[in-house]
Amino acid sequence: MTKILQSVGRHAENNFILASLILLILFFGLLSDNFFSVITLTTILNQLPALTFVTVGMTLVLIVAGIDLSVGSVMGFCAAVVGVAAVAWGLPLWAACLLGLGTGLICGMLNGLLVAYFALPSFIVTLGMLEMARGLAYLTTGSQTMYIGSKIQSLALPLPGIGVSAALISAIVLVIAAQFVLTRTVLGRYLVAIGTNEQAARMSGIDPRPYRLMVLAVSGALAGIAGIFNAAYLGSADPNAGIGLELSAIAAAVIGGTSLMGGRGSIIGAFAGVLIIAVLQNGLAQIGVSEPTKRIITGAVIIIAVLIDRWRVKHASAS
Amino acid sequence: MTESARLSISSLDKAFAAPVLKGVKLEIAGGEVHAIVGENGAGKSTLVNILAGNLRKDGGEIRLDGSIYEPQGPRDSYAAGIACAAQELSSIETLSVAENISLRALPRKGLAIDRKALNARAIKLVRRVGLQNIDPASPAETLSLADRQLLEFAKAISIDCRLLILDEPTAALTAPQADHLHSIVADLAAAGTSIIYISHRLDDVLSVADKVSVLRDGELVLTASTQQTTIPDLVEAMSGRSQSTSAERRDSVGDARVVLNATDLTTDDLPYATSLVLRSGEIVGLAGLAGAGRSELLSALFGLVPLTGGAVQRIDNGKEQAVLNAGQAVSSGIAFLGEDRQSMGLFRGQSLLINMMVPGSAGLKMLQRIDSKIERSAGAQLVEKLSIRCRDLAQDVRELSGGNQQKALLARWLHRDSDILLLDEPTRGVDVRTKNSIYDLLVSLRQKGKTIFMASSEIEELTTVCDRILVLSDRKLVRSFERSEYSEQAILAAAFSEFTASVARHSPTGSRDASPL
Repeated sequence: MTKILQSVGRHAENNFILASLILLILFFGLLSDNFFSVITLTTILNQLPALTFVTVGMTLVLIVAGIDLSVGSVMGFCAAVVGVAAVAWGLPLWAACLLGLGTGLICGMLNGLLVAYFALPSFIVTLGMLEMARGLAYLTTGSQTMYIGSKIQSLALPLPGIGVSAALISAIVLVIAAQFVLTRTVLGRYLVAIGTNEQAARMSGIDPRPYRLMVLAVSGALAGIAGIFNAAYLGSADPNAGIGLELSAIAAAVIGGTSLMGGRGSIIGAFAGVLIIAVLQNGLAQIGVSEPTKRIITGAVIIIAVLIDRWRVKHASAS
Repeated sequence: MTESARLSISSLDKAFAAPVLKGVKLEIAGGEVHAIVGENGAGKSTLVNILAGNLRKDGGEIRLDGSIYEPQGPRDSYAAGIACAAQELSSIETLSVAENISLRALPRKGLAIDRKALNARAIKLVRRVGLQNIDPASPAETLSLADRQLLEFAKAISIDCRLLILDEPTAALTAPQADHLHSIVADLAAAGTSIIYISHRLDDVLSVADKVSVLRDGELVLTASTQQTTIPDLVEAMSGRSQSTSAERRDSVGDARVVLNATDLTTDDLPYATSLVLRSGEIVGLAGLAGAGRSELLSALFGLVPLTGGAVQRIDNGKEQAVLNAGQAVSSGIAFLGEDRQSMGLFRGQSLLINMMVPGSAGLKMLQRIDSKIERSAGAQLVEKLSIRCRDLAQDVRELSGGNQQKALLARWLHRDSDILLLDEPTRGVDVRTKNSIYDLLVSLRQKGKTIFMASSEIEELTTVCDRILVLSDRKLVRSFERSEYSEQAILAAAFSEFTASVARHSPTGSRDASPL
């Protein structure tokens, strides 16, 4: 955990998000006797991978001034495909997972194609995909949760000798890789340029369309991976998996300093947003807050985080 | 000041960064059609905007029928009986033709709009201005450009006004439509309305107006009766000089390899086949009035708009390659600077460094790691070379002054080491010092064998910097001037030539050559 926090601290634009996260952890630690326990930690860590995967995709889409509302449904659909492929068709696990990933990629490419080359708003296209992918998830599973088996659960269980799951490791690797691409490569810079001023990007010789297609395809593929890990976590394919996940992903990205207007965003920041949401959810449950109150507090935290961020940006540019 | 003047303006001043109107004095009688002409940037639009209440004057006095007129906003100008058909079409696309016409005073029945009265009122006006087959209930976006200009006119004459301002009312109209508009103008004037008529079409000006005034660099240099004025008189008054007195910045032109060759190029916006060649080591100017197609031509050369005919060939070391899109243009060494740096160039909210480093140097791979050390030192060198005033490389580009922002955009292409620079108004809105440093930069690039093709609305700028000047008039390339032929007056006359060519007494200044310019 401290390692993660350190890397967050190194890369975050500044330490505001990190400080809030530590404050939250201390707050729950003081209020609850059980917060600093292996069980709490495991619960939090197990929830992380799926949300992390879709949040990274969402952040990339938001940076080019788009949005992907379909990630939750696509994740559910992909989990369903993994379940059907492994159980009904009897495919080996790796093939089922590959099929799940491919399904997400195709959904994302379809989104991207319509947004980039047919000039439709990403909000509308991905809203349509949200409905379609959920419908397909129900159709694929016959609206029933499909038990897959213990084999897939190994992805979500701590690896012997390392102590964390393959799912968590891959999520962290993804965060670091995506942050590198965004801040240190030509590709990342072009994404920021397109999100900041599409016309200026075009007049610099950058055609925005392949990049828009790419980020939505990546977002779909990452939702597919999230579907695999969700199935691994549950040991089964739940057609209801990921309902409302797109909103958590947007919240995490925004808490982490990503602008909905495009051109500004940080993957590490978004990951910190994921951690804040996970800590908040579990911490509130631990201190006995009811489900309705939990939702009220989580919603308020999102708004306050953005307010503070807005104030911070204004203050930084004024000085 | 005469008592009878409808509009009386005295010592009117207005400045933005620099003075735009200087001590303008103008009197217009009731029922008079008064034309105002001048080069781009002479201050015509500013004058109109002050009268329409969109801008506040800095000094001077405006009287309407003897009483002081000081509009605080467009509403005041409307209340004072001033109607304005602006140059930029202002119709709201999603509203109907009738709603657009009556937007300021929609007839009501109770709380709802009285559609019957609205449409009845509109139909009279649209028929009057010559929109014969237009249903007043159809949305404005279904109208053609010419029809929308007529709608703008209908909107302006929908109120009983004392003063009607028409800013380039016939720019998009066909000759019969323009004639019809002029007959309505004559009727309105006969009924006692005073009219300010602004146009680049000097023959129209002389036939429609009673008097004509010439604005030059914000000063009113001539007011005369149109009976006693000729087109050459107006052109001379507008340019102010009969002979060019430009400061020479010329050295020998380098070796003259052709680097870009456009043949019979046409696009949706450039209907007439245009051919030109650009050579290494030269600065070529592109002159023309607003709407003559300067930006459209540069965009077409850069591959930003699809060609409907012809081709643009990039010739690099003997290898020919067609320019098909902007991405390919950049990778073949062509750079582009749009006329509006805010919307077309800057990445606002990003650092100065990022603004200079997109698209970045040639040959970078998408997933290649950017060496921030090398990049920062390259950035620092550019800042020093162009003397960009900034706090540091991380400063938000929004915080830089206009001139420094422009330099940052030029730095972008210097970093790329592009061979051909297509620059649209490279010194728009920058101060004189920055202007001169940009000129010096362009000349030094030319010495290195680079090619610069720059469009400008300031002819003096072109005669100062350029080795030759091409002139666009009404989207046709009409003439090419060599340095020895430079005269601001002749260039301006060429720029006006296609707008006046419809009149037999005035033959076109330059016949189009068969060979590319």
